[in-house]
Amino acid sequence: MELKYDKGKNQKERREFIHYYARWVKSVPNEVWSRQQAELIDSFILNAKNFKMTTEKYLEIRDGSPKEN
Amino acid sequence: MELKYEHGKIAIENKVFTTLDRFVLDFTELLEEYVDYVIVSGYVVILFGRARGTEDIDTIIRYIDRDTFASFYQRLSRDGYYFLNPEDVTGLYEMLEEGLGVRIAKEDTIIPNIELKFVKDDFDRYSIDNRLEVVLGEKRLFISPIELQIPYKLYLGSDKDIEDAIYLWDIFSEKIEVNRLREFMKALNVRGEEYGIEV
Repeated sequence: MELKYDKGKNQKERREFIHYYARWVKSVPNEVWSRQQAELIDSFILNAKNFKMTTEKYLEIRDGSPKEN
Repeated sequence: MELKYEHGKIAIENKVFTTLDRFVLDFTELLEEYVDYVIVSGYVVILFGRARGTEDIDTIIRYIDRDTFASFYQRLSRDGYYFLNPEDVTGLYEMLEEGLGVRIAKEDTIIPNIELKFVKDDFDRYSIDNRLEVVLGEKRLFISPIELQIPYKLYLGSDKDIEDAIYLWDIFSEKIEVNRLREFMKALNVRGEEYGIEV
């Protein structure tokens, strides 16, 4: 099995997109970029709320310190 | 993007608030009653339009004594927040004193959450002493100076952090104090030419 993934190329494409996106954000009124951003972020938060996880597990993943109690 | 700069403030007018913005603004309004704070890292980039999510809001506060923290703890409970960490109020305060972060969310949620830490080094102190006020309609919050955030993101060095640095540079390159940015890049021993951050 062969995986063709060029990390350098992927990074370059992502960074080019950041430049492109920043130019777009600067070129449009606040209502425009922020409305699109709100749709994305609100979806992210909604998904996170629907993903059931205990606080113990979350802290273990985030802070790497499983609690003994 | 229209940003209005005046006397150490940036106003973002007519921004459509995200769920994350409302969470942060509600929390910081309460936090501000107890202690000076500054928001650093990912949310700073998101606030200025980067289209990405984040789970936590990194927030640095000045040192407060046990009694003040206990009052803050009680207020949070009254206002529907809880600490994700299982420690009691004494344990949480000890965590802060040890330089650890404690996490706070709205009841029955985990994400988004605030990661709160005491000021720990000169960079944190600089951030909080030189914090930038961002005005969003009737609300406001305080963020770390962009001149420090860009080098800090480069210092962290993950793909996401470098992309954040590039984004901040693209948005603010004509507005920031380049000398200050250069000083922080030198202090953190990072370079930006490879990413188009030319100072």
